[in-house]
Amino acid sequence: MPIEFTTDQVIFRDVASVEEAEALLEWLQKTSNSTVDLAACTHLHTANLQVLMAARPAITSWPENIELRAWLEVALKPELGESLDGNDDSRSR
Amino acid sequence: MNPLLNQFLSESRDFSEDIGAKLMQLENAPDDQTIIDELFRLVHTLKGNSGLFTFPEMTRVLHAGEDLLGMVRNGQLAYSRQLADRLLDGIDLVMVMCGDIESTGKIDLSRTQGSADMVESLRDLLPSVRDLAGLGGAVEAGVSGSPSTGAAIVHVKVPPLAEIPEATRMDAFRRSHGGESLNWITYTPARECFFQGDDPFYLVRQVPGILWGSTQPLERLPTLAELDTYSCVLEFHLLTTALPEELSEHFRYVPDQVSIVQVDPIWLVIPLGRIEGGPAHHAFTAKALGYLEKNNLDTLRDYTTKSLKTEIAGSWQVSALRWLLVLLESRPDQRAALRLLIQSFDGAKTPDWTASNRDDEAQAKASATQFESGIKRGDECRKGERQSLSDTPSPDLEEQAIARETILETQRQILQLVDHPAWETGRIRAVAAVLRNLWMSAGNGQASSEIDAAISASLAVRENAPLLKWLEENKKGMVGLLPQPGATSLRDGNSTSGPAETATTVGPSSARPAGDEAIKFGRRAEDAVNGQRSVKVDQAKIDRLMNLIGELVVEKNALPYLALRAETQYGVRELSREIKAQYSVINRIADEMQDAIMQVRMMSVSFVFQRFPRLVRDISRKLGKEVQLVLEGEQTEADKNIIESLADPLIHIVRNSLDHGLETPDVRRASGKPETGTLTIRAAQEADRVVIEISDDGKGIDPTVIKRKAYEKGLIDEAALERIDDQEAVNLIFAAGLSTAAVVSDLSGRGVGMDVVRSAVEKMNGTVMVNSEVGKGTKIRISLPLSMAVTQVMIVESDQQLFGIPLDHVIETVRVAKTAIRFIKKSMTAVLRGRVVPLKGINGLLGISARAKVNEDDEFAVLLVQVGGEVLGLVVDSFRETIGVIQKPLNGFLSGLSAYSGSALMGDGSVLMILNIRELV
Repeated sequence: MPIEFTTDQVIFRDVASVEEAEALLEWLQKTSNSTVDLAACTHLHTANLQVLMAARPAITSWPENIELRAWLEVALKPELGESLDGNDDSRSR
Repeated sequence: MNPLLNQFLSESRDFSEDIGAKLMQLENAPDDQTIIDELFRLVHTLKGNSGLFTFPEMTRVLHAGEDLLGMVRNGQLAYSRQLADRLLDGIDLVMVMCGDIESTGKIDLSRTQGSADMVESLRDLLPSVRDLAGLGGAVEAGVSGSPSTGAAIVHVKVPPLAEIPEATRMDAFRRSHGGESLNWITYTPARECFFQGDDPFYLVRQVPGILWGSTQPLERLPTLAELDTYSCVLEFHLLTTALPEELSEHFRYVPDQVSIVQVDPIWLVIPLGRIEGGPAHHAFTAKALGYLEKNNLDTLRDYTTKSLKTEIAGSWQVSALRWLLVLLESRPDQRAALRLLIQSFDGAKTPDWTASNRDDEAQAKASATQFESGIKRGDECRKGERQSLSDTPSPDLEEQAIARETILETQRQILQLVDHPAWETGRIRAVAAVLRNLWMSAGNGQASSEIDAAISASLAVRENAPLLKWLEENKKGMVGLLPQPGATSLRDGNSTSGPAETATTVGPSSARPAGDEAIKFGRRAEDAVNGQRSVKVDQAKIDRLMNLIGELVVEKNALPYLALRAETQYGVRELSREIKAQYSVINRIADEMQDAIMQVRMMSVSFVFQRFPRLVRDISRKLGKEVQLVLEGEQTEADKNIIESLADPLIHIVRNSLDHGLETPDVRRASGKPETGTLTIRAAQEADRVVIEISDDGKGIDPTVIKRKAYEKGLIDEAALERIDDQEAVNLIFAAGLSTAAVVSDLSGRGVGMDVVRSAVEKMNGTVMVNSEVGKGTKIRISLPLSMAVTQVMIVESDQQLFGIPLDHVIETVRVAKTAIRFIKKSMTAVLRGRVVPLKGINGLLGISARAKVNEDDEFAVLLVQVGGEVLGLVVDSFRETIGVIQKPLNGFLSGLSAYSGSALMGDGSVLMILNIRELV
């Protein structure tokens, strides 16, 4: 399974397809204080991405894939949207 | 390849041929509604078919063509040659794509751009308003990069670049200075895109040259409880260095969901941060401006670096100073930008500085020219708008109302601007043009003179007030004209953005749905109604049938031998008779069967002829000649192979006629001929041959010119130059390497044409003849057998071997007494029917050492054959019967033997070698 659920953590591996999104959403809906481990993830389908963006769970490990990590950091960082701080010399690609 | 795709490809080919033919017909009868309807139906069906597969490039081209034809069909657009040209080009492109699909299973990626260009050029002809508000073009420096969306509303504005972290922006700025292009992409996937198997996130991750990207919810993301997993609610923003072409190729499946804006690097200069006040900033601005005026850039840089250290970290000013340094480093030549940035440093007190700065810069860059051109655009708009309004009065009144309101509001804002730039006059004119068009579109032409008065008043005082006053006074009236004046409030929220953000199109949005609505006829089921009842069969299957019947014919011929043996060897006469009776039945059936299979392979010459109208049209227009093409006898039939191999020679001949034969209108007029030349291609059946004549009424072939050319090229010697008559000279055009054209053009002049024609025709056992009269024209006559399948051969015997000689070559068989043979030098000759005929022994030609036999009367058997117009006597041992054989080409090692054209199986199972007389002598 590309997505593995433990009691309070969801672990992504390889490529999470669109079929995974429904289960992910259900799990996140019923699990409070959930955390996400993306370390082994290489890609996740847009459907999964938007579920994560809506749920904003804590990310325990970011993907090892640097390019994916950059995307996800912009999308999933908690302060996204409020901060337009130009001096935030966050990673550039 | 799946069968559906196969069928699509074969159908597409038919369709596009039909479309080409119909366009040709339309050329002669531009008002024929039935042709237009038919044409529209064809393109429509083809488009529909292409939609079954994922060939977006193809579908888009066809869609554009369909739109265009829809307009023609509804009388909104007149047929023109240009229109036909572009449609033909479009169909050609579709055919090229079909070729790609056939060979590789997909459309070559390099076609994407061609397809986009084609769509553009087709859409160009639509009477649309590409950009209504001439003023809206103020920031048009950022152009929409998705050409395929064509006439869709393009709403260009400066992208929200402030989202991007400053370091990334600076990096991008430096890159663009280094020559890379910057493009901003907004990709808004369709909500239901997951169901189509799309993964937008994957798509954006694959975008080439990404500098920065972000994922944003379209609106507020719904809460977890409300979230629908299967509806995409995200939008992607990207900044990339990829070229717009690469990007539109990358997004070629979703061009309607993507907007690509070319980013002016100056837009990236957005200082952000806390705004710190203080008199020091004012001093900085003054001092820095001073340095700039004096062109003291080094001092300015040092001063900026020094100031940077004194400013509070994280403040707006620090950011601005950093940008100033970047600008000084990479774009010291951009004075205007530098000045604006320095001026803004002081103005940082105004909280909305970022927004205005951006617009100012864009405006400063673009407006001077844009405002002037606004007048011109206004004129274009007027045409387009009038068209769309008068032709499609109702569909989008509400949309129009909103558009008008927006336009009015924009103009008002422009007039209210208090600055007085150098281009003030142009600006007033542009506004006036827009207003005039607007009133005109609403059907109020009288306003025009009032506007004129207001303009002259405005121009006289170089002041907007009179025009503004007129606008305010008449706005009510204008809004009153609108069906729902209050439907949408003026968008005051936009007002700070000034003229920059309004770019609205009225024309296409109101004009196109009308075309789409009317397409609801001609569904697939009806398409086949007037189709022929025919079966499409792979040619290989027919060829196999052909081979089988060939074998059957051969085997059948073995039966008489069997009968003979039954009688002579075994002495059973009864059996022999029965075998013969059976043979006659089988013989009849086999003959009929052979005939039937031949019929299947028969094709009418129209298969070749149908491409000529297009060919003649294209070439004659390229050459600036007026040519009328007359086709006759298109229903004449011949074997498929013959017809197919006719195509190339005919094209050569037609090209030659057009290029060398027919004259330009001026020359024709001068020589007393009608301006339009006539090219006639006539096909007819004569006995068992099909004859094709290509005749033109051009300048003809001048034998003296040909002779001289041939002599120059060394094709004939001096003696021949004197000797040959005019007809022989004209025949020299078939010699290899002869070209009369002074220069090599892309049409002809390489000296291969007619030579190739002759060899191609001769390969099919055909002949080609040319007749020409200087000043009157040229006639080329090609004669071909109806079928290549069965060759009639005469069997001759020599040194106890049998050889076949194609009957086409045989003139007669004679017996020549040994005494009648004379030797001229070492060659044998004989006088036959009053002329001297050279004789050659077949044994000698084939390298057989035996001597030719004579019969009991001491006579040689001589076969008179015709080779390339010459008569020759072949000395053989004896003559046998003539039979029809199915000739097989020689394969493998034997294929190198040019003395034989092939082999055939005889009824008794032996192999008969067919001589290639032409090569032999």
